Amino acid sequence: MKTGIASSPRLEPALGALLYYGTILASAVIALGLALARGLGAAGMRVATAGLVIFILLPVARVAAMLIFFLRAGDYKFGAIAALVMSIILLSFFLAIP
Amino acid sequence: MHGGFELWLFAVALGTSMLGGLLGMASGIFIVPILTMFGRIDLHAAIGASLISVIACSCAGAAPFLKEGLTNIRLAILLETATTSGALCSVFLAGLIAAKYLFLIFAAILLLSAQQMVARRKQPPGAPERAIGYSVQRLPLGMTLMYGAGLISALLGIGSGVLKIPAMDTALRLPIKVSSATSNFMIGVTAAASAGAYFARGEILTSVAAPIALGSVLGAVLGARILMKVPGDKLRMMFVGILVILSAQMLLAAFGINLIGRAR
Repeated sequence: MKTGIASSPRLEPALGALLYYGTILASAVIALGLALARGLGAAGMRVATAGLVIFILLPVARVAAMLIFFLRAGDYKFGAIAALVMSIILLSFFLAIP
Repeated sequence: MHGGFELWLFAVALGTSMLGGLLGMASGIFIVPILTMFGRIDLHAAIGASLISVIACSCAGAAPFLKEGLTNIRLAILLETATTSGALCSVFLAGLIAAKYLFLIFAAILLLSAQQMVARRKQPPGAPERAIGYSVQRLPLGMTLMYGAGLISALLGIGSGVLKIPAMDTALRLPIKVSSATSNFMIGVTAAASAGAYFARGEILTSVAAPIALGSVLGAVLGARILMKVPGDKLRMMFVGILVILSAQMLLAAFGINLIGRAR
């Protein structure tokens, strides 16, 4: 398999920005939740839990962004690969729900 | 949950994530033993919190590598089919394996990591020095090792660098900078696949995972800023010692013995 490093020059900075701002958002929500939990208790903890959910969904959003990019670029082979990764992740989520 | 314990969790995540960056490993391999032994946290809750830490470190550290074009995103998504498959299988295995055996597997992985640290990681033979125009070799072997890495990652809540490094170096023969960047990019998705399942089963406790997440982000950011140089031999040997001690402790924990844990 031959791969050029600059295979998708527009995609990489966009993914970097998604993960960077996503990390800031998730961290801010968790910090807010922990601060609120001091005064409000369980309600604050629920905000912190929402922050954790943002963190878990962040890599999933990254796979979704790659899927959309590959499909739009007409790269159906890698589009299918990204779709497969997405389905495995979703399968893991839904099979675990009791 | 009192403030002191929260601060302790934050500090543990901060320290281990910085250390992880320094040693080129994910933080989970340190977080799980520390939480179970010193924090007296249940193994499954420790693994859940550790998976959050792995995601946080991966996401917080990804942007600079992506900007520099070191991350091979096409190879990453291809290998992620193998790592997430491994994670999917493991999520259902984890419920069936008794904590005792998880501690034993963890002890073995810690020893393997120590051995890899002694051996030092070199530029793989046959791999080009430069991070451009390289080709990926022996993909089926690489995919198989990555499946194993995903399996171990979800089972123990670690990034599983211990299996990714041989996959990247020995099988795929990638330049070292490319494999580090690509591995960092991949561990987030692998951990997310299992973290989602752990969350759905209620095994991610916010009171533990939230301070861990914040400490991990800060540790990963600081680690990348401060620790750009390769650690010296003395420091490496110190960490080999720490890994061996943690491994011995996990082995003892497998048999229900805890020598250093504090009572809470």
